[in-house]
Amino acid sequence: MIPWSAFVYVEWCTRAHRNHRFSLWIPLFLAWLLLLPLVLILFPVVALACLFIRVNVLRLYSTAWGILAALGQTRVEVRTPATRILVDVA
Amino acid sequence: MTDDRRTILEMLAAGKITADEAERLLAALDSKPASPVAEPVSNNAASAASRAKGRPKYLRVLVEADESTTGLKGGPTTVNVRVPMQLLRAGVRLASLIPTQAHDQLDQAFSKHGVPITLSQIKPENLEEIVDHLGDLTVDVDGKDENKTRVRVFCE
Repeated sequence: MIPWSAFVYVEWCTRAHRNHRFSLWIPLFLAWLLLLPLVLILFPVVALACLFIRVNVLRLYSTAWGILAALGQTRVEVRTPATRILVDVA
Repeated sequence: MTDDRRTILEMLAAGKITADEAERLLAALDSKPASPVAEPVSNNAASAASRAKGRPKYLRVLVEADESTTGLKGGPTTVNVRVPMQLLRAGVRLASLIPTQAHDQLDQAFSKHGVPITLSQIKPENLEEIVDHLGDLTVDVDGKDENKTRVRVFCE
């Protein structure tokens, strides 16, 4: 299942030793809805390109879909002494 | 009958493993102590046993670098990455998209850089087997002397 949302959390400390936090919930499903018409419009172009380079267009789309669907539960966290960044794909 | 048991019995019927190895694998599934191992098991039996343990779900990469490496004062810098194994499996399927006419050129490029790989001989099931065996991977790298950088790669 493709991920429906992502969570970004940023925390940093200023020189005055004050902690600032910022979190953002990103509704990825809206991005997929916006990208879907673009994908459909570009399908003939991609199909022609695949025909030219001799790649199966359906396999290309299924591979891309598989990668997208597997993105869920990916987590990246970077922590420095003054900063913390967390990206969590649900 | 579970799928794992069926797989073991099919391997026994096909002659890929011996009866002793099948017995040990079945005992591993039941989590009961089997008879002492008198001889090493075959690769197929070892793979079936590792599958019986349960497939890892994530690939984890942990990097910890101290102040002397990063130049940032105040403590170490850590990077923690968790990647689903499904993403790796989906990613290796990208190799199947490479056009066959490009295989020769890529093989030559790989050979030039000291990597003797023949792309046309790599099949999706080989790559799947590699990803499956990543479950046994653990890499620990510790920096030497004053460089206290630590890298851990493992599956869970």
